[in-house]
Amino acid sequence: MQLSATYLLQLTMNGLMLGLLYALIAVGLALIFGVLEIINFAHGEFLTLGAFAMALALPVCGLLYWPALAVAVAASAIAGLALYELFLAKLGQGEFERSILITMGISMILLYGMQYIFTATPRMVDTSLGFAGVSIGAIRITWTRIIGSAIAVAAFLLLYAVLNLTQFGRAMRAIAQNREAALMVGIRPRTVARNAVVLATALCGLAGAALAPIQLVQPAMGQAVIFKAFALVIIGGLGNMPGAFVTALALGMIESWIGGFFDVIWQEAAVFALMIAVVMVKPDGLFQRGGMRVG
Amino acid sequence: MKQLLFAAALLALAAVPPSFGSNYITGVVLSGLVFTVAAAALNLVYGYAGLLSFAQLGFWGIGGYCSALTVMRFGGNFWEGLLVAALVNAAIAAAVGLPTLRTGRHAFVIITLSFALLCGLVARDWVSLTRGPLGIPGLPAPSLFGFAFSTVPRFYYLVLAFAVLALGFLFALGTSRIGDTLRAIKQNEPLARSQGVSPLAYKLAAFVIGAIVTGLAGAIYVFYLKIVDPLFLDFYYMQTFLIVVIIGGAGNFWGVVLAGLVMVALPEALRFSNDLRMVIYGAILVVAMLVLPRGVAGWFADRRLAALRASLK
Amino acid sequence: MTALLEVADLAKAYRGVHAVDGVSFAVASGTITGMIGPNGSGKSTTIDCLSGFQRADRGRVSLDGHDITGLAPQKIARTFQTVRVFDQFDLVANLMVAVEPFRRVGWHDALARTARYRAARDAAEARAHELIELVGLTRLVAAPAGILSYGQKKLLALAAALMPKPRLVVLDEPVAGVNPTRINEVADILRKVNAAGATFLIVEHNVEFITGLCDHVIVLDQGKKLVEGPPAEVHSDQRVLDAYLGIDERQTSAVAEAS
Repeated sequence: MQLSATYLLQLTMNGLMLGLLYALIAVGLALIFGVLEIINFAHGEFLTLGAFAMALALPVCGLLYWPALAVAVAASAIAGLALYELFLAKLGQGEFERSILITMGISMILLYGMQYIFTATPRMVDTSLGFAGVSIGAIRITWTRIIGSAIAVAAFLLLYAVLNLTQFGRAMRAIAQNREAALMVGIRPRTVARNAVVLATALCGLAGAALAPIQLVQPAMGQAVIFKAFALVIIGGLGNMPGAFVTALALGMIESWIGGFFDVIWQEAAVFALMIAVVMVKPDGLFQRGGMRVG
Repeated sequence: MKQLLFAAALLALAAVPPSFGSNYITGVVLSGLVFTVAAAALNLVYGYAGLLSFAQLGFWGIGGYCSALTVMRFGGNFWEGLLVAALVNAAIAAAVGLPTLRTGRHAFVIITLSFALLCGLVARDWVSLTRGPLGIPGLPAPSLFGFAFSTVPRFYYLVLAFAVLALGFLFALGTSRIGDTLRAIKQNEPLARSQGVSPLAYKLAAFVIGAIVTGLAGAIYVFYLKIVDPLFLDFYYMQTFLIVVIIGGAGNFWGVVLAGLVMVALPEALRFSNDLRMVIYGAILVVAMLVLPRGVAGWFADRRLAALRASLK
Repeated sequence: MTALLEVADLAKAYRGVHAVDGVSFAVASGTITGMIGPNGSGKSTTIDCLSGFQRADRGRVSLDGHDITGLAPQKIARTFQTVRVFDQFDLVANLMVAVEPFRRVGWHDALARTARYRAARDAAEARAHELIELVGLTRLVAAPAGILSYGQKKLLALAAALMPKPRLVVLDEPVAGVNPTRINEVADILRKVNAAGATFLIVEHNVEFITGLCDHVIVLDQGKKLVEGPPAEVHSDQRVLDAYLGIDERQTSAVAEAS
């Protein structure tokens, strides 16, 4: 292990890419919490759905990356719509524990259902981009990774634009910040909630689809990241999307750097222990709670 | 009347090994009893105190590893293993519970969830202690004064005795003033506070007692499985405990006990496919949350309430 | 006349708004003291602070000479504006939550149902039945409190507040939303309990109820104490009338300034 600039650069880039992945998931979770005040236990499965959708769409689209990606994101969005209309819409205010249990059940159905249908065997996904890549000095990055990261960044820019510049997005922020006032102004909670869920699951599906050519696709892939995402959302301040974003990026960097310098074995446990400690010390998160009205 | 029912149930349970003469069936009921105890402990924490604590899974696993390690690594016997499991869980529950209970509702759930995961990771990664994914196999049969619980029926009676004691204790606790106070805190914490209750003390007590009982259940169960490994901390167990509590009716002692015993057969009936079994569990959970959020016992309670309302008009 | 409750220079602000801004008053032992004031005058925040449900930014609260500022809400019995009862408990169980009658009973006593526990429980149950009868809810004693009407819940909450035999009882809008025909019943109950030795501090909007019942009235306005004295005096004080009726004028001038 050389402490060269190249190595550090590699670690940083890996960290950023990992962080962007975490962010795509965590920001969606934060959005759902901000608008619905629930934690979507099944969120990780939407990542997996996106990945499998990508895996299945690629052969149909002649291995072309972009059409398959579009299909995968659309599929995730539709699944998110179903999630909301069939289940989440039936939950009332203040039903936090019930929401966790319902989404946990949905998570079980999706995860083990996919395992039953697709088997747990990880599969490789091939795209027209293949394994071609770019070399910067001693570092080599595949196009799939570059594009994946670029997509993530683009998604966030788009999300930012939507949340701040469109009525669609501003309504979501209004509900998250002050539900009663938003209702009085005529914002319809059901519509906004539905939009938020669809948007969040589409983001997650996008992450999964972008991941598919980079990592092996398997039904349990969502599980690996989702529990970290829960902790990230709390640390970032429940419902606080920028907070979740920053915390996610930070975690990606921390993980990459820990993995780069220490034995990988304890990395995961150390990260969880650290997150638990942070939440215990600052239960409302490191950043301000996402405009949630308390009390 | 209730005593008669209880005695009859106990007799029926005691008669299982000779009646069926099958180690398989005895094993199924044995597992059911252990899971029922764990579910009853979760019921104390979630149903009575209102805390959705995923940490129960962690304590279950810690209990299993404690008893196994005490016997295999540190030369103790089974009973000392149980004692270690109880004490270690009590200590960890107190240490983790106190700061966690001070955080809010949301943070509590997330922290307990992360805790359970952390326990699984430690079991997998602390290879020098736990042998990692290899686990600790070859757990010997417990013995007492020379009598070895070496066959399944014998172990069954050991488990039955434990279940009766544990459930009896939880029943006494739940129906006592302590249980009433917990339920008061769950219904309306500020009101309870204005009546002089210190909610934190009660919640912590429930959390620690739940940890001890679940830890003991795990500690005993691994000796039936004869091995403990990181899979013992798989979410499957937590989901099973939860389903029993939800179906039975969170907060209702007999509801949960009955649900646990009735659902004994479920894991076995659904044995044809592990994955499908979990899908069905998930579906049960979702349907129960939508249709029967307060469980079967809750449904009956609602009907009684409606009848009472009507009679008072 | 000894002061049972003394509040000195209480203040609490939320995000720059001074809900309570330097309020001082005393409640004399054995009296029924009323606290009135227009919306936003700081009544609820004041009693939240003195009963320990919120932390004041500054000020001192003493009960019977002992400083209880910021202490956990166990020293003063109170009811809540949005009436709170334990919906799933029956009426007696609601009253049995009170810790005070069991203060010498430990957890092991409760668990093992020792003689000491049973003695305390029997005494508490007897008292609970007495109080339920006092507020006229004996007919419903076995019903879960959730099915009670709003007014009945308020009466139950009053009974619960009286369980620990408190020296001081703070009532937060005890007759708001109560059927007008029953309001007099409530006043009678309060007089009875007061005669038995309890001191009351009652926050209310119903000025008639307060003037008919209280020995002493404190008026708050915009976080400050405006005036205090016997009800007749306060009732006709010009400043009080201005505070209540002047709200419209204050609002219209503020709007004019803003535009």
